[in-house]
Amino acid sequence: MSLLQEEREIILSNEHVDNFDFAEVEEFVKNANKELFISHHFAQKKKMLVQPRGGFPTYKKQFALNEFFVNANVDVLPLTIDSNTRLNDYATAKKMLRLSEESEVDMLNGYPLVNHGYRTTRKMVTHFNKPVSLRHGTPDARLLIETAIASGIFEIEGGPITYLLPYSKNFPLDKAFLYWKYVEKVCANYSKLNLPINRESFGPLTATLVPPAITIVIQLLEMLLSLEEGVKSFSVSFSQTGSMNQDIVMGHVIRKMAKKYAESINCGDATINLVYHQWMGAFPTNKDFAEQLINMSTVIASMVGADKIITKTREEASGIPTKEANAKTVANTQYTLGILNGLPNIVDEEEEEILTLEVEAIMEAVFNDPADTLWRKVFNSIKNGTIDVPFSPHIINHNEMITIRDANKNIRIIKRGNVPIPDRCFEYEKSKCDLTKDTTSIVNDIIHDIGIMQ
Amino acid sequence: MKVVTGVVGNDIHVVANRLIELSLDARGYEVFNLGVNTYLEEFFDAAVETGADILLISSLNGEAEGWAREVKLLKSKYKTLDDLVMVIGGNLVVGTADADVIVPKYKNYGFDLVFHQVDLNTGLDTLEEFIKERQAS
Repeated sequence: MSLLQEEREIILSNEHVDNFDFAEVEEFVKNANKELFISHHFAQKKKMLVQPRGGFPTYKKQFALNEFFVNANVDVLPLTIDSNTRLNDYATAKKMLRLSEESEVDMLNGYPLVNHGYRTTRKMVTHFNKPVSLRHGTPDARLLIETAIASGIFEIEGGPITYLLPYSKNFPLDKAFLYWKYVEKVCANYSKLNLPINRESFGPLTATLVPPAITIVIQLLEMLLSLEEGVKSFSVSFSQTGSMNQDIVMGHVIRKMAKKYAESINCGDATINLVYHQWMGAFPTNKDFAEQLINMSTVIASMVGADKIITKTREEASGIPTKEANAKTVANTQYTLGILNGLPNIVDEEEEEILTLEVEAIMEAVFNDPADTLWRKVFNSIKNGTIDVPFSPHIINHNEMITIRDANKNIRIIKRGNVPIPDRCFEYEKSKCDLTKDTTSIVNDIIHDIGIMQ
Repeated sequence: MKVVTGVVGNDIHVVANRLIELSLDARGYEVFNLGVNTYLEEFFDAAVETGADILLISSLNGEAEGWAREVKLLKSKYKTLDDLVMVIGGNLVVGTADADVIVPKYKNYGFDLVFHQVDLNTGLDTLEEFIKERQAS
């Protein structure tokens, strides 16, 4: 038995898992309907796929949510996992699920997939016959991913960096890399049986003034770590920055570089998709304005040429959105996409050049780390501040980089910390900002700049 | 002056915490930022370790009260913290409540200054005045 298989057996013998039948699952994946694979829909490329967010604790409510979505013409169904499962606390999830089932109150903020089990969940997934995207935020997602694939979920979001730096204070980063390596291997192995299982990175990160260069570098690195293990379908992603020009530049650069770096490790045969997240920052409390902001996101996603868009709702500022609000936003986004045709092709050569140079310089610094494997190089680079995510709560993150918006709302780096932003690019970034202000005024600007709607 | 700061409890909201650090830094304080997800014991340990003058606790998710109830008891276990200026700020209740109700409640828990939904600079200005008055007396 291989080491991986030994590890799988141990993970799946968890007391909260109802006897896992490897042979039966393999047979299921082999014969699974192509409609369940997002990679199949990407390959057909008829239009930009629309995917909302959403997850409820009970099977009944999750089923009802999916029904709503299907009626609203959704392309990809979401399955958001509850926060106890994210922390591998299946016992609490189980208790809360029982409480949710017995009362009318939801005691979990998502679907506890491991507790429901794959036999039950598969009934729902195959009933709707739409691709499902697993959204969770789990550093150790090994059991969760095994259960997801066995359920017919062939789109797995996350990664060792993007599901850790924005969501955790002190989960060990080296462990996260190793646990995600397992996930990649399992996805790669199952991909050989039928169509590829798609892996998607989480580009929004902290969703707070993250400069494009940092987002792109992290997307590229998670992509490389995944392709290295044999994954053949990967989605890089980013969220609306607040500047239309910066989004478009970012879209061009991330596509170009993803291809280049995939080829550099002889993985040019893998399919790389681009996913765009509607505005992920603080939302206006005025619901009509929120709707305008969402609509704007859809227009930008079209200009960027995204393969998939992930939606937000007009209720975002006031708490967890209802299924009705979620369905409405799917229908509205589909409508906007339907009337957006023949968009102009915009190129900003100077911005593209600057961003490309920044990304290349950081990537080079990561590759030049003396460690023996890519994940160790990346680990060291986060540890020494070569990669620095503004507003990450994690203790390993340096938090030395400072960014603000310029007059055109572009996110600019005004303090680079240990991030190897080339001098020429750094001068360019700073030249766009008013740096004569004192720190207190700059802090006030940052508070203002976190939003884009003021 | 030395300040220990951080976000109390199982609260991962880091943006304000980062801005507090920048602002304190700009005002010339020596800042020890414990970041998010910090337990009361960690705050007091850090205050002892650094010899801090001020402890500035923040909270956003509304759960601070559950933690603040134990402040007096816990602080009394540390012998060197009698002069520590205790400050709490952020969003200090689940749901909504008036500052008239919240401020006395938290003062009773052992805080010298309580900022419920108060703007960052106003809070820090008030802190500076408080310290000035204390030094004068």
